[in-house]
Amino acid sequence: MGISSNRDLLVSCLWAGATVVVVAVTDSLVLRTALAAPMVFLISGHAMLRALGVRTTSALEHLVYSVGASLATGIGGGFALNAAGLLTPFGWAVWFWAVTSAAALVAARRNAPDLPAWPAPAPVRLWQGATIVLAVLVATGAYALAVRDEAAYREFKYTEFWILPSADGESGRLTVGVRSAETQTQRFDLEIIVDGQPFAVFRALTIAPGETWTRQIPVPAVAARQRAEARLYRPVDNRLYRSVSTLVPPI
Amino acid sequence: MMPARFIARTKINPLQTAIRWAWAVIGPDLSGGSADAPPQQANSRWIAVLCLTVATALLLVVAGHAAGRRGYEVAPLFFWSGVILLVVPITLRVAQPMLARGERLFLLFLLAEALFYCKVVYSPTGFIAFDEFLHGIAADDLITARRLFLSNPLLPIGPTYPGLEILAMAIVNLTGLPLFVAGMLLLAILKGTFIGALFLFFESITGSPRISAIACLTYMGCSTFVLFESMFSYESLGIVLCVLAFAVEAASKDLVRRPRLKALGLIALLLASLAVTHHLSAGFAAIYFGALAVLEALRRHGSLRTHARTVVGLTALLAIALPLLWVQVHGNTLTGYLGPSVETGFKTLIGKILGAPTPRSEHLGAPTQPVGMRLTTLLAILLLSLGLATGFFRSLAMAAPSGVQAGWRPMQDILRRNWRDSRIVLLTLLAFGFPVSVALRLTNAGWEIGNRMGTFVFIAVGLVVAVGIVHFWQGRTPRGWRRIAPAVALTVIVLGGVTTSSLNPIHGRYRVAADQESIEPMGIETARWTKEWLGAGNRFTADRINRLLLASYGRQDARIKIAEGIYSARIFEGEELGSDELYALARSDIDFLLVDLRLSTAPPVLGFYFEPWQPQAGTPISGAELLKFDDIQGVTRIYDNGWIVIYDIRGLHGNF
Repeated sequence: MGISSNRDLLVSCLWAGATVVVVAVTDSLVLRTALAAPMVFLISGHAMLRALGVRTTSALEHLVYSVGASLATGIGGGFALNAAGLLTPFGWAVWFWAVTSAAALVAARRNAPDLPAWPAPAPVRLWQGATIVLAVLVATGAYALAVRDEAAYREFKYTEFWILPSADGESGRLTVGVRSAETQTQRFDLEIIVDGQPFAVFRALTIAPGETWTRQIPVPAVAARQRAEARLYRPVDNRLYRSVSTLVPPI
Repeated sequence: MMPARFIARTKINPLQTAIRWAWAVIGPDLSGGSADAPPQQANSRWIAVLCLTVATALLLVVAGHAAGRRGYEVAPLFFWSGVILLVVPITLRVAQPMLARGERLFLLFLLAEALFYCKVVYSPTGFIAFDEFLHGIAADDLITARRLFLSNPLLPIGPTYPGLEILAMAIVNLTGLPLFVAGMLLLAILKGTFIGALFLFFESITGSPRISAIACLTYMGCSTFVLFESMFSYESLGIVLCVLAFAVEAASKDLVRRPRLKALGLIALLLASLAVTHHLSAGFAAIYFGALAVLEALRRHGSLRTHARTVVGLTALLAIALPLLWVQVHGNTLTGYLGPSVETGFKTLIGKILGAPTPRSEHLGAPTQPVGMRLTTLLAILLLSLGLATGFFRSLAMAAPSGVQAGWRPMQDILRRNWRDSRIVLLTLLAFGFPVSVALRLTNAGWEIGNRMGTFVFIAVGLVVAVGIVHFWQGRTPRGWRRIAPAVALTVIVLGGVTTSSLNPIHGRYRVAADQESIEPMGIETARWTKEWLGAGNRFTADRINRLLLASYGRQDARIKIAEGIYSARIFEGEELGSDELYALARSDIDFLLVDLRLSTAPPVLGFYFEPWQPQAGTPISGAELLKFDDIQGVTRIYDNGWIVIYDIRGLHGNF
């Protein structure tokens, strides 16, 4: 036997209104997700389904169709908001509120078909409930482990080295940087050469894993384009480790 | 099963016996099983135990990935024992003849979401598959620019089908979640909706939750179910909208007048969304509804034929007109995008059948998988074929008017266009697509199209195999081997879905030009460096993988094409830069080249470093080829991490 009340429509409208308020006033991820996710995936579609007057015969059917109608509402919203230049968080919230409210009004006026009855829940014993909770905890923990492992493990160990002309095209300044993604602290000597002439030297730079060293280096600006080169040496084996270069723009 | 009858003193003709036996095996006899158990409550004890089994399995899968990242030999043991622990108990339980509908459904959702979990933990904090990057970049652009239809050089057809990106943007904007999390939330909902819709679709046309559940399990054996349809990519949404439209239409088949037109309203909404979401799914929906309309027009059986024909005709009109209209509105980029793949795939297949000379694309062997995976795939294909053989005529017989069940009578009725449900006839005939899709997958050029076909063909395969299992293999009294063997066969079929989903489903060490196996933190960090130190929106070109990373993590304008007729491969390959290539680079607006020296360590796993259409490479590119830019005047090496080098080529344009 179906459920003949229209209370669900009122709840849908209130939920949509609450989503608008929350999106407008708070940045709380939890609160916004708790309200907006059901709005995007279920509630707007449920109201649409009721407005269309589609009769569903089981809870599963109603849920699945509601999700489908919600997805369609969201996609339609993208085009409507794009046309109105309102593809913003508030625009989205208003769209879902408007669609849900309008659909609920139509459904209430046209005397929408009854909702399907919910199936009776299977009786669950304490140990069964505890087992299901344990399963959820194990799966969540496994995910956390996967996240941790991905962040912790790096196949390649390397040192980044770069030289850049001034970002704004202004002549007479270079940026040199070193960043370590090694497993141990490294020591380097760094030499800057401009147009083949030694220009600056930085000795015994000590860079720990994850650390970044950068310097802005003023160079004399001349009328012609100059080539600047930076060389990174490893004192431990006294060999050229990296070499990068750039062009210094003329005045 | 139709028993062979022997009479005493009759001389037994072995050929005749064999033919009789074969007819009995493949024949349309439906008397084998009364498909469903009487309504009963779900067994919470089994559900609780299976939840814990699944959780343990997922832990093993995570351990498998962790071991795989480090190159430990134990990785496959962890991973595959996890997958087996995940698939086998649930499949064996769902395949049981006497089970509550609710329990079957719960277990199907559990299995589908657990398989999705396995896909997500491969890369639990970011997109990993090639297509995911393409759509991730488009969604990021949409969220940033707040405008639709922005160009996407890496997927030119993408902006025409923005459904997925729109939904992702809605979630990101409303919840404040990062794009990846929003995308995974959307995909988890889509996975559940897909299984629910597929189950309802099968249930509407067969009237049996048992057949529906087995059909859903069989669908999970499709090569695209585990990975491809779980990607942040437009087909993941497209197939859901497509199956939803089928389910709504099938559920409304017995309705008349206003209730049916109301259902048509919902179908129209779904088809309109599908038309702007994914071309192939929309195309399949058009084929399905078009063919259904034709079959309804041919059908002789049924009292409400005229009304049914009209509504199905209207549905077909919508399914065909909406995608065409959308293509017309947005310019036809579809032919150029899909045409070459379809043409080359079918040409290669036909060439192979007719014994034509092997095209160049087929000279290189396809990347290989471990023997165990290949054997599982082969066994799954064999079992599917067996299921199709025993289910084909039985499935057709289900469509015959009720009461006509003796011998081959149902087939005579079908041939006289006297069937009860056109959907069953259509799906049974569509199952012929299975051997075609398998054959296409055996060629390098046709693999792509064969793989895509599977997504849709398996809807039909699911139905036919499920009917075969219930009405022939399990039979009237599923005891002994009849109880165990079909369930075991189903587990092999579902496991086949995992083994065919990718070359290597376990996260391993870096491999050259191997799509998701080539994505690792160093490449990502380099792409992020470009955004941090060069700013966003610079024009870059690089190999296929680094282009993706630059465009997504680096927010750079990653280009494939340098100038008319000159693509990135021509720039990077060759020990010297030819005058044409140098001229093209100098005249182009490309700012930077990114060179990944790891390419020189091995031949490309997928056969190409830069573009899929370049000649397949069997030998690695040399370091000298990649580093030739060091000697070109006007080009400077601004970044070097020992493996990845970035060249600034703005000096070639005379920008300074």
